[in-house]
Amino acid sequence: MSNPTLPPMPSERLLDLRDVQVGFATRDGRVAAVNSVTYHVDRGEVLGIVGESGSGKSVTVRAIMRLLAKNAVEGAGGSIRFNPDGDRELLLSAEHKNSRLMREIRGGRIGMIFQEPMTALSPVHTVGTQIMRTVMLHRKCGRTEARARAVELLGKVQLPNPEEMVDRYPHQMSGGMRQRAMIALALCCDPVLLIADEPTTALDVTTEAQILDLLKSLQDELGMAIIFITHNFGVVADIADRVAVMYLGRIVETGSVDDIFYAPKHPYTQALLQSIPRLGQARVRRLKTIRGSVPDPYNVPKGCPFHTRCDFADAALCGTELPPRKAFAGDQSALCHFAGELREAGQ
Amino acid sequence: MSVLPAEAMPAEVLVRVEGLSKHFGVKTGSGQALLRAVDDVSFDIRKGETFGLVGESGSGKSTVARLMLRAYRLTAGRVLFRLSDGTVADISALDDRAMRPIRREMQMIFQDPYSSLNPRMTLRDLIGEPMSVHGATRAEIDARVAELLACVGLRPEYAGRYPHAFSGGQRQRIGIARALALSPALIAADEAVSALDVSVAAQNINLLQDLQEQFDLTYLFITHDLGMVEHISNRIAVMYLGRIVELGETEEIFARPMHPYTEALLGAVPQPDPRKRRSGRRQVLKGEVPSAVNPPSGCAFHPRCPYATERCAAELPALREVGGRQVRCHFAEELALQGVEA
Repeated sequence: MSNPTLPPMPSERLLDLRDVQVGFATRDGRVAAVNSVTYHVDRGEVLGIVGESGSGKSVTVRAIMRLLAKNAVEGAGGSIRFNPDGDRELLLSAEHKNSRLMREIRGGRIGMIFQEPMTALSPVHTVGTQIMRTVMLHRKCGRTEARARAVELLGKVQLPNPEEMVDRYPHQMSGGMRQRAMIALALCCDPVLLIADEPTTALDVTTEAQILDLLKSLQDELGMAIIFITHNFGVVADIADRVAVMYLGRIVETGSVDDIFYAPKHPYTQALLQSIPRLGQARVRRLKTIRGSVPDPYNVPKGCPFHTRCDFADAALCGTELPPRKAFAGDQSALCHFAGELREAGQ
Repeated sequence: MSVLPAEAMPAEVLVRVEGLSKHFGVKTGSGQALLRAVDDVSFDIRKGETFGLVGESGSGKSTVARLMLRAYRLTAGRVLFRLSDGTVADISALDDRAMRPIRREMQMIFQDPYSSLNPRMTLRDLIGEPMSVHGATRAEIDARVAELLACVGLRPEYAGRYPHAFSGGQRQRIGIARALALSPALIAADEAVSALDVSVAAQNINLLQDLQEQFDLTYLFITHDLGMVEHISNRIAVMYLGRIVELGETEEIFARPMHPYTEALLGAVPQPDPRKRRSGRRQVLKGEVPSAVNPPSGCAFHPRCPYATERCAAELPALREVGGRQVRCHFAEELALQGVEA
């Protein structure tokens, strides 16, 4: 099943995306949502993906899960490879949404949690039933065993009285409890990869802190890798080992969490970091901003996608030519003509 | 008519809220119950300041704003408002007709720029509607709309367009222009930038601060984003389960909170600084916000408070003056709580 034209994945590599392209055919023409996205996830690490709305972060993980909408068009040159056990490379990008392999992988080897647990969970089934069905499907086990597993999982995500919670419906739980139930559901078959799409965005700060701590302790215990999607730089700093910053369907910068926060190379990363008001920061009169707004995806600027809002842009170069990916020490790279030549505006 | 003399409250105060309460009747499985959304809330907002209301969902912060603007009827308490002629009105006692002229002076900006603008109205009608309600002529409205669009950084030619043609950040500016239309003294901004992307939120916060300077505005700024509230507010009130637990100067509260809930809130904010997580993490608050239908006895925070004693479960602490601020905790003087490091 592996693709002969791609070099084999190193053994620590769990997931490898190369040149992934996703567009959508709409009434108003084709929209390019994800352009040439390349990233990887190693076993047991947390990759944080940050970006504003419309940057393509969710569409990319939907391509991994093969859950793209019907009108999605994928570029032919791209590949998504997944090596769950270290001995077989699976080419997910060649799989159909409903293939036997994908149905095994989704919920079995890759778990997923979403922003809004109220809409992601079924409102007409108890939390226990939802977990049991997944366990019975993937583990081919009976009801009694599946129920015991559901109770065990609800305890693991630190819900009080798991024996009682297993028979509750989502509407009988608070937002924080529902998010815990969804994590239990995603972890029910011991996945090697957990995809978390803005899992704390809808929660209050104290609940968010609880969920982040829970995810970290579960990761320590179970050793799965996590792709954590968020627009909140504070959350990324708290949980990620490596970070990829997305803008208008492209990864504009990637590196270790320290490099991204303390030595960002891309003007977009730098500007974003400066535009967040930080706790304890000396009161400044004005926040730094990025001028304009994210261009609409039907009219992506030519050249560098960020040049229309960039303080360092050279209209002749940035406005016409897509920048190369410049590599730096420690696996950091930035999609910018001037990366490495700009003043580093980290903290 | 409940117009009070100008001396009813100190000259620098624009709004005074006294003993504000709002109880809602809710249906439960076993009949009716009382939900105390806001309970005995008092504070002053001074002219020209930004007063922040902070708290998690269900703390009652939005209800306080709605009560102040008389979108709800009060269960108990008074709201005094200084009108532009210097007199003071007790707006809690006014009927809707008497309230109408006063509404010009207090406006609101909402969280969701998609649902708070009627999609079938042009910007000219959206922004001009409050003026036409208050009897402006067409020509006056057209001129004022153009001026307001320019104020919020949108082109006056956009007046004929509909909201769908604008991005979230631009729509929020349309909402700001509409709030400014009647030259209010007070603007209540309820989570006004929470739905926006980081870079756009920063633009709109700067805009709000510029407008404040330009038009002498007073803001009631409601948010759950503590970084934002620290940046924009002069003073803040922290709410928990319908009550104020701490109130004072923003800088002082952030540097050294006196209520354990404020400490927990500040500690829970994930900071954009990976080194902080390795230098050891703050204590995470356990449990969840209890139901306002059936609040805990004594101090509402005691079941989650790491410092709680038996007294806290038995006796509701009063909101009292401690070191230049107000705190609702029996042990405010004894506890040495951790604030935000600079």
